[in-house]
Amino acid sequence: MDFPIFHIDFIGNRMLIAVDAILHVIINHALAVGALPVIALLELSGIRTKDPRWDRLAYRLLKVIFIITTTVGALTGVGIWFSASLINPAAIGSLIRVFFWGWFVEWIVFVAEVSLIMAYFLSWQSSGRTPEAKLKHLRLGIFLAIFSWITMAIIVAILGFMMDPGNWMSERTLISGVLNPMYFPQLAFRTTLAMVMGGMTMICLTYLFTRNDLPFRTTVLRAISSWSGIWMLALIIASVWYYQVIPQHMLANIPVAVTTQEYVSWNSSLKWLLTIGLSFVGWVLWSSIRHPGQVHGAKYLASVLLLFAMLGQFERVREFIRKPFIIGNYMYANGIRVEDYPLLQRDGILQHATYAGIREVTADNKVAAGREVFEQTCTRCHTVNGINSIRGQLKTMYGDKPWQPEVIAAYIENMHGARYFMPPFPGNKAELDALSVYLASQQKRATAFNGAQTNGIPIPDKISASTVYGTLPNLANPHGEQQ
Amino acid sequence: MTAPIPRDIPLPLPAPEGLLEILLIAVFLVHILFVHLMIGGSMFSLVCQIRGLKTPDYEKLAYRIMQTVTVNKSLAVVMGVAPLLIINTLYAPQFYASSALIGDMWMAVIPLVTLAFLLAYAHKFWWNHFLNIPELHIGIAALETVLFLVIPLIFMTNVNLMLFPEYWPKVTGFFSAMLLPNVLLRYLHFVSATVLFSSLFFVWWSGRKTFRVEVQFSELRVIDVRRFFYAFAFGATIFQILTGLMVFVSLPAQGMSWEFTVLLMLGGLVVLPAIWWMWQNLTRPGHLLDDNFKQILTCFACAAIVMGIARHDYRENALEDHKAAIAEKTINYQAAVKEASEEAQLAAIKAKETDIALPGATAFNQNCAACHHATLPTVGPALEEINAIYANDPAGIVAWTKSPGKKRPDSMKMPGFPQLSDAELMMISQYMLSH
Repeated sequence: MDFPIFHIDFIGNRMLIAVDAILHVIINHALAVGALPVIALLELSGIRTKDPRWDRLAYRLLKVIFIITTTVGALTGVGIWFSASLINPAAIGSLIRVFFWGWFVEWIVFVAEVSLIMAYFLSWQSSGRTPEAKLKHLRLGIFLAIFSWITMAIIVAILGFMMDPGNWMSERTLISGVLNPMYFPQLAFRTTLAMVMGGMTMICLTYLFTRNDLPFRTTVLRAISSWSGIWMLALIIASVWYYQVIPQHMLANIPVAVTTQEYVSWNSSLKWLLTIGLSFVGWVLWSSIRHPGQVHGAKYLASVLLLFAMLGQFERVREFIRKPFIIGNYMYANGIRVEDYPLLQRDGILQHATYAGIREVTADNKVAAGREVFEQTCTRCHTVNGINSIRGQLKTMYGDKPWQPEVIAAYIENMHGARYFMPPFPGNKAELDALSVYLASQQKRATAFNGAQTNGIPIPDKISASTVYGTLPNLANPHGEQQ
Repeated sequence: MTAPIPRDIPLPLPAPEGLLEILLIAVFLVHILFVHLMIGGSMFSLVCQIRGLKTPDYEKLAYRIMQTVTVNKSLAVVMGVAPLLIINTLYAPQFYASSALIGDMWMAVIPLVTLAFLLAYAHKFWWNHFLNIPELHIGIAALETVLFLVIPLIFMTNVNLMLFPEYWPKVTGFFSAMLLPNVLLRYLHFVSATVLFSSLFFVWWSGRKTFRVEVQFSELRVIDVRRFFYAFAFGATIFQILTGLMVFVSLPAQGMSWEFTVLLMLGGLVVLPAIWWMWQNLTRPGHLLDDNFKQILTCFACAAIVMGIARHDYRENALEDHKAAIAEKTINYQAAVKEASEEAQLAAIKAKETDIALPGATAFNQNCAACHHATLPTVGPALEEINAIYANDPAGIVAWTKSPGKKRPDSMKMPGFPQLSDAELMMISQYMLSH
């Protein structure tokens, strides 16, 4: 509506954010929050046992952590900002206006985290000279582990808030995000999952790095497995807690019954994955504590992958329950505010979209106008030909029968009733017809769909360049003339 | 050409505008300082490595320089987050628009920076693996440096484009935005600042007491290395003034003002004593490179701060009218939204009255209408067809809905509706049959 529409039709806008965000959260949980305590633990063991192998191993592991977190890890974090501001600027812009100070504090903690990991890693070699320096260095590691956990704790407050539709309308503060009933179960679940993930990832790398020193491998694996095993027990408790609190709370917020069914099915898929995953990882950890030398590396690797999958599925469920909104009850996933709907449905969305090239649907321009409507209302989630493509959706529904515009229009008009995750259509009747004609025209010969980064924006017309609306007076300038 | 006028996000700013502007100028200066040190470090490391082919001591120097890049590049990224956040807050309508218009290149910043960082690590951490294949090592360093130099050009293009909404309709893709007036000149000005600030940094860095021990030159004298950096700093300062004048002359008129001009002149004047001192230290016997070093640094720091303020001043001038128009449009749009919403509420009250006359209508529309159209077969069969099957048999519809199956080969299976009571289902069925 108020921003040029960036669109990538192949992988799709949603998938761009998803890939970046999942990569970021996996690196953050497995290599920062979960792995850094393990490194400090190994360093401590090195100090206690006076066996230099512990220290060497800890440094090697930290080097991997350092390289990945300060490149892919940090940049995918920034990438969430970049992709969100390209794909749904209205949503991220609104969230920033509300959570600015939350994110600002998060940034300060992030600066501390990055400074600490550099200090910890880059001073490792020189800190070995005296025992006092070594203890100081260990303290750096502990601080670092705490700071990376705090970064996560803050972001969970913001996430928790976005999931709680009621509060956005009334009180838009970070504190209410923390007091949100879902905050502590989610934080507990994420913390314990991160610890097990971090432990498991370090086990895998240790397995690789100690292949020439099997007795030492046994000792280290037992130590990290015991540490992870304790967190595993906590993770089981946290999962049960999460499972008892979240679904009820979410279900209470879901207005449409069909949504409930879909949610239950999503959530039970998470439940199954959690049950199977936790049993497997628990079993691997148990055997690794008892007979650390005899567990094959493939089992460790499988555990890590299972834990990644659990985290991924958890994030998908979390994203899923947000729909059809991107900000609960305030803004739909298409980037249009709920309160704007009556105006747009009355006048048409093309009348009010700053960067639309066509304003009125006529008998001659239906396909072109429909394309504009598609661009404004559907492209945040759907592509024409790529992932989550509209052609694919229509093909599932109508197969190879000729797609009829009237049938498509009748469906879209009431779609939000049955497909609860879809926002209602925000335009007027003429635009609905144009959209349906455009969609039907894509059955045989799909036209390439490019975003503003390729096509640019139309030359501003009267609507785009004006600051007043129709016959309404100019409220911003009561003494001035009307345009 | 006229500028498109979007509406702003109708939520208040999280802090007074002035405070956000001061924060923006301050954190941006810190960010850009580390960016300069990161890019300059990469460039100098490459240059030294190439010189190292003839004089092996330079290769040692190149390695030490890369160690500073590891730190500076991380600080550059982390210090960049805050200005990004504040720009997002203060200039949402302009910044999101310009980002979208160069969207693919803008998004490419993320993988490009990641790749540059990974190359920098490969360059540094595997230094000794490359001893016998210096061509490959220098190739990696060169690619890393080129990436580091390309990324600011993308940023420059975006922050320039956001200043001029009237250019937006002319832009189709990154390269057309890059060729808009001023971008390339500003970029040149930026690159010379990179050389200037990083070489000054390395003059200080190579003057530390521990440097001699760290670098372990076999022939090269530390003083020669320092003079090497110092000469670059001096040359870059002259170049910086020249490119600065070119940028000033070519700046689009939109953001010009006397205040801005005075600020620029002030920023330029502050540097003059530094140039004088540097020239003396380089050419006069009896002068040391460290003479007046603190004063020189202070001059450049002051100039950077004044330029940072001037830069912000130009942006505010350029966008003043656009921001005012956006504010006006946002207020008027909100009024239109309110009017339409009141109208819709009245219509909803009327619709409720008809709903009482037609029980089951609302429930039907909420639960069934998406798939069952009155006359057209959409996802499920049309009402006409259902009515023909279940004429006078609403209980049949209720029974089917309670345990639906799949009758038609080319339709989807209907979901169950356990949340609806028998009475509600009956009401809906009767409404369907009466319709």
